[in-house]
Amino acid sequence: MNVALAILWKDLLTEWRSRDRVIAMLLFSLLVVVVFHFALPSGTRVGVVENAAGLLWVAYIFAANIGLNRSFALELENDALSGLALAPGERGWIFTGKALANFCLIGIVQAVTAFVFALAFDLDLLGIALELAGVVALGSFGICTAGTLFSAMSVRTRLREVLLPILLLPALFPVLAGVVAGTRSLIIEGNVSFEAIQLLLVIDGIYLVVSFLGFEYILDE
Amino acid sequence: MNDSTSREPLTTEASSLDQSMARLRGWLGIPLVLLLATYAYTVIQAPLDNVQGVIQKILYVHPPLAYGAYLGFIVTAIGGALYLWTDREEFDRLAIAGAEVGVIFCTLMLVTGPIWAKGTWGKWWSWDPRLTVTLLLWFIYLAYMLLRSFSGSGARTARFAAVYGFVGVVLIPLNYYIIEIFDNRSIHPDNLEQGSLGAGMGLPFLMGNLALFFVFAYLLLLRWEVEGLRTRAAWDEAEGLMAGEEYS
Repeated sequence: MNVALAILWKDLLTEWRSRDRVIAMLLFSLLVVVVFHFALPSGTRVGVVENAAGLLWVAYIFAANIGLNRSFALELENDALSGLALAPGERGWIFTGKALANFCLIGIVQAVTAFVFALAFDLDLLGIALELAGVVALGSFGICTAGTLFSAMSVRTRLREVLLPILLLPALFPVLAGVVAGTRSLIIEGNVSFEAIQLLLVIDGIYLVVSFLGFEYILDE
Repeated sequence: MNDSTSREPLTTEASSLDQSMARLRGWLGIPLVLLLATYAYTVIQAPLDNVQGVIQKILYVHPPLAYGAYLGFIVTAIGGALYLWTDREEFDRLAIAGAEVGVIFCTLMLVTGPIWAKGTWGKWWSWDPRLTVTLLLWFIYLAYMLLRSFSGSGARTARFAAVYGFVGVVLIPLNYYIIEIFDNRSIHPDNLEQGSLGAGMGLPFLMGNLALFFVFAYLLLLRWEVEGLRTRAAWDEAEGLMAGEEYS
């Protein structure tokens, strides 16, 4: 557990000093929002409200992909990955620390993107901000667990960052299907069913266990 | 488990498991040919469907391909899990064989499905739960093969692939469940129940399942064997190089 906290602290501190990952993710997701403006027919607010959840998650998943790719690319410098693998303690905790750091960084990007998205498309998300943050966090947790595991794999293949979305997107389908449905009902109806929350919790739990155990075999000297 | 000292000594001889599997594959050959001949005969003899006409005969190939695809992916997960557990490379080869044969079956299923769908539903594709799950599964196993081919060879690739293959199988029930809840627009018929097939259609369907199961098993064992030969050839070559270095 201390290992996880140490890794979390290390990753957040590195990010605080360079700020490159958050800025890259943020710029990218804001650009995606601008692309949405051109992609959607102008002046039709109805379509935007109905599709806001899906659009928001498209921006989120692309931005998360960039952040997750950098998560382990960082460790390749000076062969820090071998150092991590040799660290005493269970490797699953290294995974937990990494996943939590990704979760925090992606969370910042998601909050800012949602804010800009709401401004750009004249949506009132302020009233449901807390619930929205909760639902997004549940989805983001699933993305970060599977994403951190696959990022540790893809970074050591020849294709590197190209491989991550190919590995990740089909595997994320249950999370995305659940969280987009939840976010949509939250934006349109103002509430989200307990069933959806329950389901996301179960999926997150399964992803967490599989990734925690699988990471043992992914990290090697 | 990860300790490299616990690994079996590498040998260029075929292991006893490999030998017995090769023998099993040899025995499968003649029944396979007989089954395929009977299968073709029963499909030709089967009555034409009143409503759908000749296109309904895809029934005798489409579901059996689906079973083969799922079986292949389960073999991959089991092979991968056994590899992680025992660290024996035979099981990694089993996982490769399962994935590749599974992808072939899955691809053929995704080709035959739309042909049938266009004839009966009037459109090539429908986002029906079973179709969506199968499509995602197909993508997962293509990603699995991509992961393998771009990680080089060796124990690390085998471990990566084992973990990914396991995730792929965990996703099957999860995908079903989530689509049932959030995206249920099913027009695909449910699993065949007793008596849902017309008269004279049961036998060719049964033969289709049996024949394609044998095809699956034969291809799986063949692929396993080929991968074994490839591994041993690589080791022979490496040994030859090492011996050559000693002399020069």
